[in-house]
Amino acid sequence: MAIKAEKQADKTEDVNLQPFMCLMVVLVPILLLQAEFAKISIIDINLPQGRGSQTQKTVKKRKQEEENKLLLTAIITDSVLTLGAKGGFLPSLFYQEYHKYITKDDGTELTVKYDPSDPEAPKHPKTGRPLEIYERYDIFLYACDETYQNLKKTLYTQYGEMLTDLDGLPVDQVQPGDSVYALSTPRRLIIVSNPSEYELRPMSVYDQLRNRLTKVKERFKDADDAEDIIIAAENQVLYDKIVQIMDAAREAEFPNISIAKLRA
Amino acid sequence: MAKERGRGKKLSKKAGLQITSMMDMFTILVVFLLKQFAAEGALLTNADNLVLPNSVSKKRPKEVNLQIAVTNDMVLVDNVPTVPTEDIKNIPLDNPNPVDPKLEEALKGHYASEEEMVRLGALNKVEGKIVIQVDKNIEFDVLYKVMNTCGKVGYNKMNFAVMEREG
Repeated sequence: MAIKAEKQADKTEDVNLQPFMCLMVVLVPILLLQAEFAKISIIDINLPQGRGSQTQKTVKKRKQEEENKLLLTAIITDSVLTLGAKGGFLPSLFYQEYHKYITKDDGTELTVKYDPSDPEAPKHPKTGRPLEIYERYDIFLYACDETYQNLKKTLYTQYGEMLTDLDGLPVDQVQPGDSVYALSTPRRLIIVSNPSEYELRPMSVYDQLRNRLTKVKERFKDADDAEDIIIAAENQVLYDKIVQIMDAAREAEFPNISIAKLRA
Repeated sequence: MAKERGRGKKLSKKAGLQITSMMDMFTILVVFLLKQFAAEGALLTNADNLVLPNSVSKKRPKEVNLQIAVTNDMVLVDNVPTVPTEDIKNIPLDNPNPVDPKLEEALKGHYASEEEMVRLGALNKVEGKIVIQVDKNIEFDVLYKVMNTCGKVGYNKMNFAVMEREG
């Protein structure tokens, strides 16, 4: 009798989980199918306004308005990246292109130097198949000297941030006790304790651009257009590079991006 | 008898599934997926044959807008192939106001339908927002001409679609 009662109590404790399980088994695949893993986001763009034809009067008025304006412009061509403003230009950044490919069949990663005079696609390291343009994952632009021979190298932290000194110039060696800045938003002061933590890598022109933009931002906080930047590009510049420049601009807190075209 | 019962009990224990931990896991998974999905559904869909550039932008699309996609061989307006990209490339470079007539016509159609919606009271005003998806291997020249055409029709608030960088 006592045993029977115990058994009954056992039975009432047990919830029938089967319908719930069925629901889960259906819900999980549905949601997994609908979930987006590659996230698409958007970038806001402002068109340059009123830069077309204008009458004499408005031009005059414009000049007064532009007195306190910076008119910051990043200019990109197929070999040079330059930053200019109303007062003048910063030294041009000459660059060499390196393309990173991830092959679609076995996921091999390879980075090759791009030579504009030799448009042949690189070969797959194992099968020798020419790689397609869709397999190009990233385009790296590394700063070099005017002769396009020697790459400039600079130190990076383990998080991939470029190191600069107190004046914002790139650093290629550090001693314990040195104080340097890491290029983040805002800049982060680091007192070097172990120089081997930092890696000497080719300097990306996007990082150097971001560094210069950060400095410009600090110096010209009170300009009327302290949040605006114009990106001017040559006709044959790839869209990918323009997006990377927009990223650098946005990270240096220039969120109002306009696009312009360089006249050939 | 007692021995047999004992054995039977042991067997049934072995066959039973440890369902509690599995339920926990499923519940967490479902809640996580629901949350990810419910916040904002996929407002932007990736056009086929199009590789978007990677960017650090975290801004998510908030509403559904007209989409224009520029792939290596076609320009699509709301997923309808409209003009071959080659045609846009062939607009002379020295044209100060490059506009592609076919693309302009297609965009004008969409703009007119938006105006119609405003007239009927379905929209407050014509916002002129457009999302531009461009393949990352497209040259700036094509992008400029497409943007110029959009701007001429009245789509002035442009957004570029990009792929969010991992990590």
